Amino acid sequence: MKEQEAVVIAEGIRKSFGAVEVLKGIDLTAHAHDVISILGSSGSGKSTFLRCLNALEVPSAGRIHVHGEEVLFKDGRPADRKAVERLRQRLGMVFQQFNLWTHRSVIENVMEGPIHVLGKGKKEAREQAEHILNRVGLSERMDMYPSALSGGQQQRVAIARALAMEPDAILFDEPTSALDPELVGEVLKVMNELASEGRTMIIVTHEMAFARDVSTDVIFLHQGEIAERGAPEKMFSNPDTEVFANFISDFN
Amino acid sequence: MFDLFAYGDAGWGDELLAGLGITLQLALLALPLGLLLGFAFSTLSLANSGSLRLVARLYTTTMRGLPEILTLFVIYNGVGVLLNLVMKSIGADPVEFSPMLAGVIALGMVFGAFAAEVLRGAFQSLDPGQTEAAQAIGMTPMQIFTRVKVPQVWRFALPGLGNLWINLLKDTALVSVIALDDLMRMTKVAAGFTKLPFNFYLAACLIYWILCLISEAGLAKMERHANRGVRRAGS
Amino acid sequence: MNPIELLIQYWPNYLEGLWVTVQLAGVGAILAAFLAPMLAIVRLNGHPVFSIPVRIYVSFIRGTPMLAQLFLIYYGSGQFRPFLQEWGLWSFFREPYNCAMLTFVISSTAYQIEILRGGLMGVPAGEVEAAKAVGMSPVSLYRRVIFPHAYRIAWPALGNEVILLIKASALASVVTIFDLLGETRLIFSKTFDLSAYLWAALLYLALTAVLVWGWRRAEILLSPQFFKSGRT
Repeated sequence: MKEQEAVVIAEGIRKSFGAVEVLKGIDLTAHAHDVISILGSSGSGKSTFLRCLNALEVPSAGRIHVHGEEVLFKDGRPADRKAVERLRQRLGMVFQQFNLWTHRSVIENVMEGPIHVLGKGKKEAREQAEHILNRVGLSERMDMYPSALSGGQQQRVAIARALAMEPDAILFDEPTSALDPELVGEVLKVMNELASEGRTMIIVTHEMAFARDVSTDVIFLHQGEIAERGAPEKMFSNPDTEVFANFISDFN
Repeated sequence: MFDLFAYGDAGWGDELLAGLGITLQLALLALPLGLLLGFAFSTLSLANSGSLRLVARLYTTTMRGLPEILTLFVIYNGVGVLLNLVMKSIGADPVEFSPMLAGVIALGMVFGAFAAEVLRGAFQSLDPGQTEAAQAIGMTPMQIFTRVKVPQVWRFALPGLGNLWINLLKDTALVSVIALDDLMRMTKVAAGFTKLPFNFYLAACLIYWILCLISEAGLAKMERHANRGVRRAGS
Repeated sequence: MNPIELLIQYWPNYLEGLWVTVQLAGVGAILAAFLAPMLAIVRLNGHPVFSIPVRIYVSFIRGTPMLAQLFLIYYGSGQFRPFLQEWGLWSFFREPYNCAMLTFVISSTAYQIEILRGGLMGVPAGEVEAAKAVGMSPVSLYRRVIFPHAYRIAWPALGNEVILLIKASALASVVTIFDLLGETRLIFSKTFDLSAYLWAALLYLALTAVLVWGWRRAEILLSPQFFKSGRT
């Protein structure tokens, strides 16, 4: 692998909760423009792994490298806390439950990071936020509070909030799982657009069609280990392992 | 009758007003101290360390279980005694411990203990996702505290803290017992001088009542503001 | 003098003071408990001519310091001495103990009205309708259905109110009553020993701890079936 092109490198990520080892040493490299889907049944550790990438879940051991920023984890602690904060600035995150700040309006949610983390001016941040919200189709709702929006709209605001940080890669943690079925489409559409723009994305999802049609790589986690990985066309048409074949049998 | 409360030499209006000034000063000084203590002890009560939690629990249980007037006496006499021991040991003349300071400290400590409980509940009812979203964009712990946790905690805690503020206003009357010239004590002076205690104590009660009613109205307004963006059940 | 010596010398005074505190708060709370239910009904369902005065009374008491209320009654009554003497009431108002007790009853009644109001509003409308449907008279409706339920809801808050009253009863010492704090102040003025306050603090804490424990016991004993079925 050519390290200089890689945007995110995770090496030997381990995570234990007490005596239970949920992640047993996972490697992942995302190059620029990669769209990596992480699949797996519940309990496979896929969400935990994604949350380890920006240290919301602190890995028990491993190394994470994002665009020149490297953090080592040992004994369940990062070697450098400030580096963790810088790493998080480089990675956007979209949560299953949106997690918009309820005490701030839509546009304030998007402006918060650029102003208070990146130190941008208010005017510049507002113009940028307006632009991004326009792109995700929410220019009419900028001054509303999140509680007045539908789940799909909230998730699009959350995506806008992540984009406003101009991240090197965006992590999606089951972004459509909390949505009513009829609202899933509007969120997937935005994600699709981001993918075709060439954004680097790492996505934990249950949307098989999305994983197959949009991603460049698929990783299948099983019991805390990578059971199978590869190009989606190949994996979905001709799985190597029985576990993955079983996993997609319901879908095909 | 109204001459009694006239302003100037003829009536007691100016004296009562001066007392009211002291009362408000006392409450407004004890409030920030109490909020500070409340935040400190609520943070301790949610700490990982068991001994820190015990310290917080001892403080809040004790201060909430003691009569406020007892706390006031302990602070006033206790700190006074200690202060004079120190003055004696350095060979200085004994000093009077200011009743104002004693009042601010005692009322602030009481407020802090109750506020710690209110704030603890509020911190516990925070959605962890709100903090995670802030972590995920790389905020520092301090930024997360001031920009996400405090505004949200504020909303949960405001009704409880509002009640405590009203209790604080009323508790200021206790300092009249340690000879601070607050509204209550000026009332006592006027009542004794004019031999019309009922009129003056009733007037004092009405003033406290009005203060509380104004506070309630103000708090209701603050709650509406803090709850902007919150969808109520059924709306 | 070390704290133990002080206690050995003065424990009878502490006990006497404690007993006065228990009397003031206990009798005050019980008398208020007789007055509050009726007034709570008036506050909630009464004709405005009656309910508005109750509202004003509750708001006034909750909006004024108890010390001011105590002074209003104790010192204020002196202003009407001839009138009170004429009616044979002066012997009552002359005694600080009576004035303190009266203050505590008036104050606690107001707080209990407010607590019971919350309890009454929490009684499910369906239960009331069911009782009406079987033809219960209004009196037995309140006695047998509404109040038992309202008191279950209000019980913990009423416990808090009794604790507040115990603490507030310390104000009695300001009008020369030798309750626990009154005795303590006397001991302190003799000894200038801060541990005088230490023992008072411990006794107050012990008193509230006993009350909290007893209140929870009573909650369980009074309504076992309610507790087994679990509270929501």
